[in-house]
Amino acid sequence: MRRLINIAAREYIAYVRTVGFWLSMLALPLGMGLVLGASGYMEASAPAPALVLIDQTPGQTFGPLVARKFSDGPGGRPRADIVDPPVALPTDPRAIGAALKPWLTGDLKLEGKRKLAAAFVIHGQGEAIAIDVWTDNPLLSSTETVRTVVSGQMERSRLEAAGVSPALLLEAAALKPTVTDFSPKTSEKASLLNRLPGVIGFGAAMLLWSVIFTGAGILLNGVIEEKSSKVLEVLLSSATVPEILFGKILGVAGVTFTVLGVWGTVGTILMNVFAPDVAGDVGKVLMGGGLIFYFAFYLAAGYLMYASIFTAIGAFCETTREAQTLLGPIMILLTIPVIFLSQALRRPDTPALEIMSWIPLFTPFMMTARAASGPPLWQVLGTGVLMLATVALVVWIAGRAFRAGALSTGKVDFKGLVARLRGGE
Amino acid sequence: MDAALSLDHVTKRYGDFTAVNDLSFAARQGRILGFLGPNGAGKTSTLRMVLGLSSPTSGTLSVLGAPDGRPVRDRIGFLPEERGLYRRMTPVEAIVFLAGLKGLPAPEARRRARQMLEEQGLGAAQNRQIRNLSKGMAQKVQLIAAIAHRPELVILDEPFSGLDPVNQQTLESMIRNLARDGATVVFSTHVMQHAERLCDHVVLLAGGRKAFDGSVAEAKARAPRALVLEGMLEAAAAAALPGVAAVATAPLDGGGQRQTCALEAQASGQEALKSAFAQGLDIQRFELREPSLHDAFIVLTGTAPDQMEVAA
Repeated sequence: MRRLINIAAREYIAYVRTVGFWLSMLALPLGMGLVLGASGYMEASAPAPALVLIDQTPGQTFGPLVARKFSDGPGGRPRADIVDPPVALPTDPRAIGAALKPWLTGDLKLEGKRKLAAAFVIHGQGEAIAIDVWTDNPLLSSTETVRTVVSGQMERSRLEAAGVSPALLLEAAALKPTVTDFSPKTSEKASLLNRLPGVIGFGAAMLLWSVIFTGAGILLNGVIEEKSSKVLEVLLSSATVPEILFGKILGVAGVTFTVLGVWGTVGTILMNVFAPDVAGDVGKVLMGGGLIFYFAFYLAAGYLMYASIFTAIGAFCETTREAQTLLGPIMILLTIPVIFLSQALRRPDTPALEIMSWIPLFTPFMMTARAASGPPLWQVLGTGVLMLATVALVVWIAGRAFRAGALSTGKVDFKGLVARLRGGE
Repeated sequence: MDAALSLDHVTKRYGDFTAVNDLSFAARQGRILGFLGPNGAGKTSTLRMVLGLSSPTSGTLSVLGAPDGRPVRDRIGFLPEERGLYRRMTPVEAIVFLAGLKGLPAPEARRRARQMLEEQGLGAAQNRQIRNLSKGMAQKVQLIAAIAHRPELVILDEPFSGLDPVNQQTLESMIRNLARDGATVVFSTHVMQHAERLCDHVVLLAGGRKAFDGSVAEAKARAPRALVLEGMLEAAAAAALPGVAAVATAPLDGGGQRQTCALEAQASGQEALKSAFAQGLDIQRFELREPSLHDAFIVLTGTAPDQMEVAA
């Protein structure tokens, strides 16, 4: 035990005192802050697009309706700014684009150095109304707004022509159904709390996946470095294989959980400050439903299983290039759960997920994601026992492989690997 | 004296390849045993079995009273053939870590590390990262890390490889000090001069088999003394001298030849030399050479260690 702790402590300290550790600690919060801040800033600072709106229909009923819709945006901000044409326009709709081309392409600017985002020309009559959109931005959302407003007005005109009174049309437009979500568990209105377990399960499964991926990657690289610098042979003469294997796994787990712990603590503090209701609900789900214990169980088992595999592979390799050959099948295996995890969020009881849950290598991810929907107890116990048996088998094989790999020299092919596993050296 | 280490008819096979073949020897406590042989002779395989890193195919071992090194690993110090230290650690950290694995408490390990580094002239380097040290310095650090816990049995696999002559002398001195302090030292090498200077006892290995087991003097006694004659004399004339068993001829750079005459066991070198002068042979330089361990190795195995190394 003393040696195991020594090895774990060395492993932990070796990583924690590197610049890379602190960068990775800061990377996620900084990245998230940057993404959220940037999108918020862009949203807040972007000026409303400048549009030219020409209504050539008889009666010109569409222009004012479209202008009113654009002036009434979220938060009282206009969706778009309708501007006068910067030049006298021809009457032919097809020629309008050519007349506005310098402003639409940005060669000339409007007043205030703004670019003209688009020109909408509504023309035609009766039920043959057309909208010509002149813009070099095919994703401009204003186009859909114009289409919706014009379409609605055409529908009203047609109904009025059929004898429906304008008052009735207004009343009909105001009709809206009341939609209420109910929770089948509480028979009460569904709240964020009802939806949280599914979201948290999905999040925890993804977190588990990334923890395993990151931790196992650190272990793999660490062991490769030790193999190439011949430190492994020194360690093997000083400690048993389980002491080395578990010491390294424990040390790197400490590194990973330190990062998670810091992120979790900072996240909890921020959530309690800025969204105390959500923080309370998350706490209730994790602690009240016992989900946190499920997650801890699957996290420990999954990490141990994959970390052992990666560590054993590292012991056979002196370069990361060599490791890539052996890692290929494992990487394919690790991508499969991710494909199915999004389904777990929307359809937690789909048969495919149940089947996947019984494959021990996928159990930690799938059961973590399904835990929130309350899978049957026999499934929880059955998959858990199968997974633990597999973990024990994987750790045993990894121990033999680690010992054989650490003392091996030169490249190891699959046949050689199996032979060494059988012989134990 | 009891044996700190003994092997009894130990064989190690890897598939069809026999790395160690029916090897038996014993290393007595407090002595320096040289485990000699070219690369590929089976030295590292034997040392790995001693340490318990691999198991013998047949035969038995006794390591400080245990069937292999695993149960007594805290009482063993090991320096592997290819050096291995964490490059980003300082010498003190590396020594404290490795000695800690052997059960030495950290404060005591730190104290000994600093003291031993000072003794080896590495005081100024004790807090520099190992990646910034020279190879010789790093090798000294590794040896200190292997012995800081004061092991009873020290196993050094090719400890001199890659060291310059000055560092080789320093290392020899460290090995002598270990034995003086009561440790049993087993070191492998294919360079005979180190063994000749250091060892009380040598085991010669060739092709996985033991070729000799005894003292350095006994090994050297197996090789003939030689009379070396340089000049314009022919090999046939040298071979005809009294007591000469065989002659090896080599050309000299400045002209003439060197005749290395192996003497028969009881022959007198002086008689042969007198006879050469009496015959008026053209001799510009002569030397009566006692056999070296290298010569003994050739006689005992039929091949020079360095030649076998190339073949291996």
